[in-house]
Amino acid sequence: QGTQIKDVVIKDDAPNALILDKHADYIAAYGSKKDDYEYTVSEYLRMSGIYWGLTVMDLMSQLPRMNCEEITEFIKSCQHECGGISASIGHDPHLLYTLSAVQILSLYDNVQALDVDKVVEYIKALQQEDGSFAGDKWGEIDTRFSFCAVATLALLGKLDAIDVDKAVEFVLSCMNFDGGFGCRPGSESHAGQIYCCTGFLSLTGQLHRLNADLLGWWLCERQLPSGGLNGRPEKLPDVCYSWWVLASLKIIGRIHWIDKAKLRAFILACQDEETGGFADRPGDMVSPCGTAVRPSRVSRCCDLQLQRNVNQSPANSGRRHNFKQPPQLSRKFEQSVASSLTDVDQLPSALLRVYVQAILAFM
Amino acid sequence: MAEFEKEVAVLVQRVVRDISNAFKKNPNIDEIGIIPCPEPRYNRSPIVLIETKLGLESWCVKFLLPSLHRKLLLYRQRKNYLDREALVDVTVTLLLLNPDFTTAWNIRKELLQCGLLNPEKDLYLGKLALTRFPKSPETWIHRRWVILQFLQQCCAQKGCRKEQCEGYLCHTEAMGSSQNLCTHQAKLLHQEMSVCSEAAGRYPSNYNAWSHRIWVLQHIAKDNVEVFLEEFSSMRRWVSMHVSDHSGFHYRQFLLQALLTELCKAPHMSTAGTTLYQQGTTTTSPSARLTETRAAFGLDPSGTERQLGGGTIAQLFDLEMEFCSELIHSYPGHEALWCHRRQVVFLWHKWRRDHPHFPCNTNEGNGLHLSISKDNGQAFSSVEGSINGLPCGDAMEVDGPPDPCNAKQLKGGPLMSGSLALTAEHSFVSILLDDCGHSEQRRFALAYRKWLGNISRQ
Repeated sequence: QGTQIKDVVIKDDAPNALILDKHADYIAAYGSKKDDYEYTVSEYLRMSGIYWGLTVMDLMSQLPRMNCEEITEFIKSCQHECGGISASIGHDPHLLYTLSAVQILSLYDNVQALDVDKVVEYIKALQQEDGSFAGDKWGEIDTRFSFCAVATLALLGKLDAIDVDKAVEFVLSCMNFDGGFGCRPGSESHAGQIYCCTGFLSLTGQLHRLNADLLGWWLCERQLPSGGLNGRPEKLPDVCYSWWVLASLKIIGRIHWIDKAKLRAFILACQDEETGGFADRPGDMVSPCGTAVRPSRVSRCCDLQLQRNVNQSPANSGRRHNFKQPPQLSRKFEQSVASSLTDVDQLPSALLRVYVQAILAFM
Repeated sequence: MAEFEKEVAVLVQRVVRDISNAFKKNPNIDEIGIIPCPEPRYNRSPIVLIETKLGLESWCVKFLLPSLHRKLLLYRQRKNYLDREALVDVTVTLLLLNPDFTTAWNIRKELLQCGLLNPEKDLYLGKLALTRFPKSPETWIHRRWVILQFLQQCCAQKGCRKEQCEGYLCHTEAMGSSQNLCTHQAKLLHQEMSVCSEAAGRYPSNYNAWSHRIWVLQHIAKDNVEVFLEEFSSMRRWVSMHVSDHSGFHYRQFLLQALLTELCKAPHMSTAGTTLYQQGTTTTSPSARLTETRAAFGLDPSGTERQLGGGTIAQLFDLEMEFCSELIHSYPGHEALWCHRRQVVFLWHKWRRDHPHFPCNTNEGNGLHLSISKDNGQAFSSVEGSINGLPCGDAMEVDGPPDPCNAKQLKGGPLMSGSLALTAEHSFVSILLDDCGHSEQRRFALAYRKWLGNISRQ
């Protein structure tokens, strides 16, 4: 009898201070590394990898270290005839990478480098009868794609190009009894999907339609005794959920419901003091069923905990400046999504996750 | 350098050919894997085929993958030409090594659309990739696309009416008992369920596998209550053996909710059990369906003459709660079990609120007695003794003098009304906490108690 709890133990000698300069060097160095094999296996998500890396650098005020022109040229060469953008040259266009590309160019205040009208047309054409969005022309439906669509359009100031009401109805149809959201109607709640859906409702001004207390409850229960967060019940903590869960809590105004000090300690302990970067989780693992934890394609991620004076944008959803949408939306965007990392009085530190694996080359 | 590149090109060609030959030699390969082997040994192929297992020695992957990857992307940019056979071979090797390479799957979609690939072959490739990467999102996404093509094709061949094709559901009178699905669909459904089960077994709480399973039910077995009942029945055993798998429990909750919806759809339910499943089914006799329903819910399948009404719905909830209690007591400290409890209570609470006038006590009024077997009628009781230490009691006849513990089930029990149900839940927690030294169990029980307080205010 008795079950070992799925959690980790943080060792006494784990790092407990933020080694910011190491992380910056780590990411900058990734740009120059072009190991053939590593580069190949992750090329299918390169555009997002670049975005994650650049956002971290921007948050650390190190953006000038990256080659803006090269990146812009790369993005331009990834836009296809249909208007959509692919993860890399020669790959097929997809909403996921269309958002990343627009996010990167928003960082550089240069979305005009793209054919914006075509991007808008591309997204518009992916909306389905029921309001949902397909990720690409092959038709897979997922609430993640609903988020990609509205986030991209919001950044371009073109949210009115789609049927927002229908899009909202679809996302709400994916809400579960626990207050969370899954990828499609009937699917299990998942912290990553919850982030997408709360971000979506925030951008569309519909946050009042979710049950913030219920959802906040579920999200807070993701915190384990070690301080780390998992993405679903009975899963191991993973530093990437610091982003998904925390950002969602922030959006719904329940961030104070979790133990910040413990989470902070957990994240700091994930750092690699020698190389920079962050691991999935620190310390020795209490392995409940003897199953090796295989790192998923994106779970080898790193987080950067930023200083108090960070006054920048969120990692995955938007940018502080250049919103060309109507003022009301812009303010909402700012308040509910962007502020998730800017309100430093509430948040002792801003969090950002970066998938190490994905930042292989900045071309 | 040029010499080296030439050598790599020769190696890659050889490996791709060997893999292709391996599939010809044994079309029933059922698992793939990488064999740790840092250096090439002797002068032999890195491909190892032992019976139905295909292995690739690790040393060659770092040459193989980048080279094929480049080749395919050059083709995509129209910078070099690959014929159909080469495309098939290159994408097979690439996807077995890196199944999240979306564009490679898309190239196969195009071949499929042109009729140059057999959809069954592609489902098979995906199945193999999942033996190594059971979560791979792109593999599951491609699978769904292929299935939709397959269903459309199947409907077209069967000459189904358009409105039926839209739901990708063929009702064929001739198929008789076979769940109202045509043979192709029944086979496909069975195959998808087994692919999902295998992936769920390989990786715990496999989100993509379970959400795929839900999708399959929604698209292939839409409105087909028998399929839902079968699933509900077999899931009982699965979750008993995977008590920490939150995704498995979510799936059971999905089924419970779907079945509840179906039960409520039937008109005059409280008085005419035989009209229960008018929707969607015409071939199975109502009494046979009733038997299945009862079996799936853990009721004695022989009690077909009994009425299914609000009282039965109460009973179904009661049985699910009892099942959940057993698991919580047998396997303390599992959050997934407590989450399941919340969902079941929530569903009941909501159902009571939505159907305030639904008669719950038809059994009582008619003086009916239902035979209840504690364990599941079919799938569950086929295993003798116990499963994982979980007791599977014998069928319990309650027709005689009522056992106080079971009487509650017969008469609708503590779940008869929402508030009463919550009271029973509070006492469940109190009794459990009185005698609980398991710290995690306590933590979850206390959180559950708090949650109960919250739901009663809703």
